[in-house]
Order: sequence, then structure tokens, then C-alpha cells
Amino acid sequence: MKSQFNITGSLDLRGVSCPVNAARAKQSIAAIGDDELIEVIVDEGQALVNVVRSINDAGYRIFKSQPLENSVAIIVGKRKTVG
Amino acid sequence: MSDNNQDKAALGKVGMMRQIQPEYYVMRLKVVAGDLTSRQLARISSVAEQYGRGFVHLSTRQGVEIHYVHQDNLERARLALAEEGIEMGACGPRVRAIVACPGDETCRWGVIDTKAMARELDARYFKVETPSKFKLAVTGCSHNCTKANENDIGIRGAIEPKWAHDACTDCGLCVSFCPVKAIGRLESDDSDGFRYEADEDACINCSICTSLCPTNAWGIGRKGYTVYIGGTMGKVPRFASVLKRIVESEEEVYDLVERSFNYYRANALKKERFGHMIDRIGLDNIKEEILEVTVQHNRQP
Repeated sequence: MKSQFNITGSLDLRGVSCPVNAARAKQSIAAIGDDELIEVIVDEGQALVNVVRSINDAGYRIFKSQPLENSVAIIVGKRKTVG
Repeated sequence: MSDNNQDKAALGKVGMMRQIQPEYYVMRLKVVAGDLTSRQLARISSVAEQYGRGFVHLSTRQGVEIHYVHQDNLERARLALAEEGIEMGACGPRVRAIVACPGDETCRWGVIDTKAMARELDARYFKVETPSKFKLAVTGCSHNCTKANENDIGIRGAIEPKWAHDACTDCGLCVSFCPVKAIGRLESDDSDGFRYEADEDACINCSICTSLCPTNAWGIGRKGYTVYIGGTMGKVPRFASVLKRIVESEEEVYDLVERSFNYYRANALKKERFGHMIDRIGLDNIKEEILEVTVQHNRQP
């Protein structure tokens, strides 16, 4: 992931089924500070759709993503802008 | 209705089907777009209690059937249902109740008002006689919950996504969540050096990119209805063929449905489903005829 982001945590949700993956993502994002970012790794397909939807609905912001093998790493922050 | 003089074949036309148990009937009720009011449900419940055996059967087309109604009680049960505005459904070679998903009223993916369209199609076609049974469905988006392509005529909400450079933060997420990998990131000559593009042929016109893009860089370019013809399951299944993709005007949709419906009624053999007629005559021939007529229609002032 690109270095300009200050990523302070990581959450691996591969193999975690819906809706637990989305709930855990939101829980982890809620726990970080306003200026922090967290990396969330989620299975591609429906899991990605559900997790992204939940993050958007909660008002958090996805800043970057990186496709991995059968999964995607997304960088999420609490606020709509970084820093 | 005199119990002794009941025309049993005629009962089928009004949604009452003979059971294998002598003298007992299934009452098939008409449900449009899967919607019943709570009062209607309560009435169905009491009729099933009083004239049936205290249960209902849910059909695969959002219908409700009351089983085990004795022939002597059919008319009384029908009148009790009619008091709450519940009509009888359709059986045999005619247009069946119109199926629809909840659509854009309540569903985040829905892009069209499926229920309004289902009600309009119901008003136009319900119970019209056809060479074989005839089923219509309206589904709000590419998730295809009400299976437009398993119906003689299916209508599916569809969008064509459009990318806005200004709003895009180049997060790349759309490339990953597009279910058919239609979105690609391309290098470009402008200041930011990139652009995203959806491949028109690969795109299934769903609304995932426009719904999930974190910055709304993917928006709806065009929105409309994709019209399918000739789908059927049953003994000889056949997925429907696309008649026209992303029809933007609702009136054109109704026009295409009307042309398709009339073409089928005029050209199908007895008991031949729409899709099997298409295979016999040829999809290109039929499309040319239906679409050509529509084009002429649209040219009229």
C-alpha cells in the first residue's frame, strides 16, 4: 500500500462471512482516531460489496484499494479527508 | 352459481383448479408484484380457515393459493375474498399475474419503479388469452431477483455507468467490486494521468459501481429498461433473449411489450411458448420485425 497513508492498524477479514465481516470492519474503524487509517482485507465478490456498502453507509471513507489474490486490501479512515 | 351446473373447465379460467381429490378445488388468488395488504392477508387467512383446511400454499410466482375448498363453497369463498379486493388468479393459456421485486421504492439496487410497471402491465394484459401460458416479470436491476429472463416477457432495470474525473480519487475499488470485471483503469494524457472506463459489452448494467463508489465518481449515465423476450422454465427451459438494452422511455417499453405480445399471439402455434416460437422462426427475424415497427412508431410526430 502507498506510503503517504499513515496506516495504524490492520484487520484481516478473509474467510469471515457476511454480515460479521462488515460488523467487525465498522467496529475496528470506530475504534481508531480521526486522523488514523486502517487496512482492511476482505474477500472479493459479495463480501467486498457488503463490507464497502456498510463502510459507506456508516459515513467512513475508503481512500485506496489494492487487489490481492482472491481478496482486496482497502484503506479506510473515519473522515472524508486524510490528515 | 348452481353447484350442479358448474362448468368445471370454465372454473379453470377464473383461477379455480380441480384437485385430485374429487369435489375439491384450489383457489388461485391474483397477487400483483407480490403485494397484499395486511387486511387482505387477514381475509385470506379467514377464508382458508372457513372454506379450506386452515393453510395456504405460496406459489413460485408470488401467488397465494387456498387448497381444499369444496366445490359447494367456491362462490361463497370468492365473494368473501372479493370484499377485500382480492381477485382470482389465472390458469391455462392466458396471461398470468405479473411478478415484480420491490424495486426502487425500498431497495438500494433498484433503478426502476417495478411495482408501478407491474400494475400497468396487469391492467393491460392480465388474463388476456394467449396460445400458451404467458408470464411477465419486472425486476429492478441486474440482481434479477424476479428472474426477468425466465419469463415470456421480462423487464429489467438497467443503468449505464458514467465516470467523472473530477470526483475520482483513484482509489481503484471499482475495478475490484465490478462483478464482471468490466471496469479498467487506463493511463491517459491528462494531468492526473489516469482514467477509468467501463467496457460497454462486458457491462451488465447493474448499479454496483454507481452505488458503491466512495466519492460518487461513478454516476448514472443512462437509465432505463432492458426488455427480454422468450424466457421459460418448465419442461423445455429457455433463457430469454434480449430484445433491446436500456430502453430509456417507459412508453417505448410498453410499445415493445405490445408489439412482442401481438407478434406472439399472431404467430405462435397452439400451446407453443413464446421462446419456442422464437427458436422456430428465428430471433433475428422476430427482433427485426418488432424493433422496426417500433422505430417507425417513434418517428411519428
